[in-house]
Amino acid sequence: MELFLERLISGLTNGSIYALLALALVVVFRGTGTLNFAQGELALFTTFVAWWLTTQSIPVWIAIVAALVLGFVMGALIERTLIRPVQRRNDMAVLIVALGLFTGLNSLAGLLWGSETKIMPSPFPNGLDDYVSIGGARLYFDALGVWGALIVLMFLMTLLFKKPTIGLHMRAVADNPESATLAGVRTSRILAIGWGLSGAIGALAGVLVTPLAPQQLGLTTMFSIFIAASAAALFGGLDSLVGAIVGGLTIGVLEAMLTGYISIIGGSLQQTSALVIIVAILFVRPNGLFGTQKLVRV
Amino acid sequence: MTLLTIDDLHAGYGPSDVLHGLSMTVEAGEVVVVLGANGAGKTTTMRAIAGLIGRRGTIELDGVPLGRRPEQVVGSGISLVPQGRGTLGQLSVVDNLRVGAAMRRDKDGVEADIERWCEVFPVLGRRQSQLAGSLSGGEQQMLAVARALMSRPRLLLCDEPSLGLAPIVVQELFATLSEINTTDGTALMIVEQNAELAMDLASRVYLLDVGTIAATGTPADFRADDAVRAAYLGY
Repeated sequence: MELFLERLISGLTNGSIYALLALALVVVFRGTGTLNFAQGELALFTTFVAWWLTTQSIPVWIAIVAALVLGFVMGALIERTLIRPVQRRNDMAVLIVALGLFTGLNSLAGLLWGSETKIMPSPFPNGLDDYVSIGGARLYFDALGVWGALIVLMFLMTLLFKKPTIGLHMRAVADNPESATLAGVRTSRILAIGWGLSGAIGALAGVLVTPLAPQQLGLTTMFSIFIAASAAALFGGLDSLVGAIVGGLTIGVLEAMLTGYISIIGGSLQQTSALVIIVAILFVRPNGLFGTQKLVRV
Repeated sequence: MTLLTIDDLHAGYGPSDVLHGLSMTVEAGEVVVVLGANGAGKTTTMRAIAGLIGRRGTIELDGVPLGRRPEQVVGSGISLVPQGRGTLGQLSVVDNLRVGAAMRRDKDGVEADIERWCEVFPVLGRRQSQLAGSLSGGEQQMLAVARALMSRPRLLLCDEPSLGLAPIVVQELFATLSEINTTDGTALMIVEQNAELAMDLASRVYLLDVGTIAATGTPADFRADDAVRAAYLGY
């Protein structure tokens, strides 16, 4: 029981991170209709900046806020300068640009800060004794902090999308950009805000996960997290915020349980086995769990 | 008084132009119908006015050059009901109407207008909270018109409003458009392939051919002209 709870806790914590990054993917997908392959590396880059700020003896909380702001600015700038000009020509080109950014941002982080592993300080108390005991299992405060961050973000996003103007306009642009434009919605501004938001959310995922990740902050930290997050977004239906969260948590818990209880999976197959289950579910529900089946009536 | 003046308009997609020096006017409160074969440039004209595609040439509203960006066009009082209705399918009917008021800041006025159009189009009133994508084609067309009217335009552009609708629904729609034209003085510019009904509303008709105006006149002129009647009215 105790072991089960500990696995559940660790699964939910990883899952929260996947959910955060999946949310970032969904926000961009709803606006632009593409999977942003660079999302993970953008998060990595901003996390490196946060880490660098902490080495300049800036408090970790301020460094995190700075990373979020930088994530927003970079996301919006990328949309404006790289995505929009190529999207006018070809949707496929957006994918290629995102792949270019993926490698580019990673190399830039390597160039600036080197490839050795960094220790990103946690914003939450994370000593060996900083935990509460639940049924014998240890729930560390930093894990609790990650859950809290996801809940707060969920709350803020729901509020934003319900807001009479900006939320409505974001949904309108995601639904039918041309109609939104015709009504006078400033589509380009909305898209830039969407990319900015997802940049900030990604940055949040990055700064929260690196103190917990076994490999700490290195150039490859975000690879596996991004794969799990994109699977989570897909599992949730790519355009559903709730779906991203449910998808992220499901993958996190699946990973933890499969690894824990099926010894043959161990450490090396954990992600693969979770993804296999996701693929199996997608066979049954091609639109994901919460994806909208486009209603078309003529 | 002339509301809209278009002079020597060139526009198109990519390197090739569809419109080659089109000129026309719309008087305040007038109903203008634009006829023309497939590919004549009717939709392109609408899209160029609305700012969806680039253009060369002059477009003036009340003698003032019209902005080139869609939000400027809506802001100055021209609203387009696009071909195919442009329904925001995942949004509720009432949210569709709110999006139509994107440029407006007067919240109370917006709510009052929503109420008004829900009365004018009772189907919308009954389905306010339903997803717009689940409406029938006719209902979606009503919604598209109502959404465009939410910006309180002085000129409403309608691109083939009858497309794919049952004749009875088309009649109802045109009756409502005519009513709005009379009560609010909203000028209408209607593009139609299915011209006969629209002609009943029209004070003037333009005939478009290969990106330029081939003929203009009153509906009576057009009905009297055998060649035009045979080619565009089909009887």
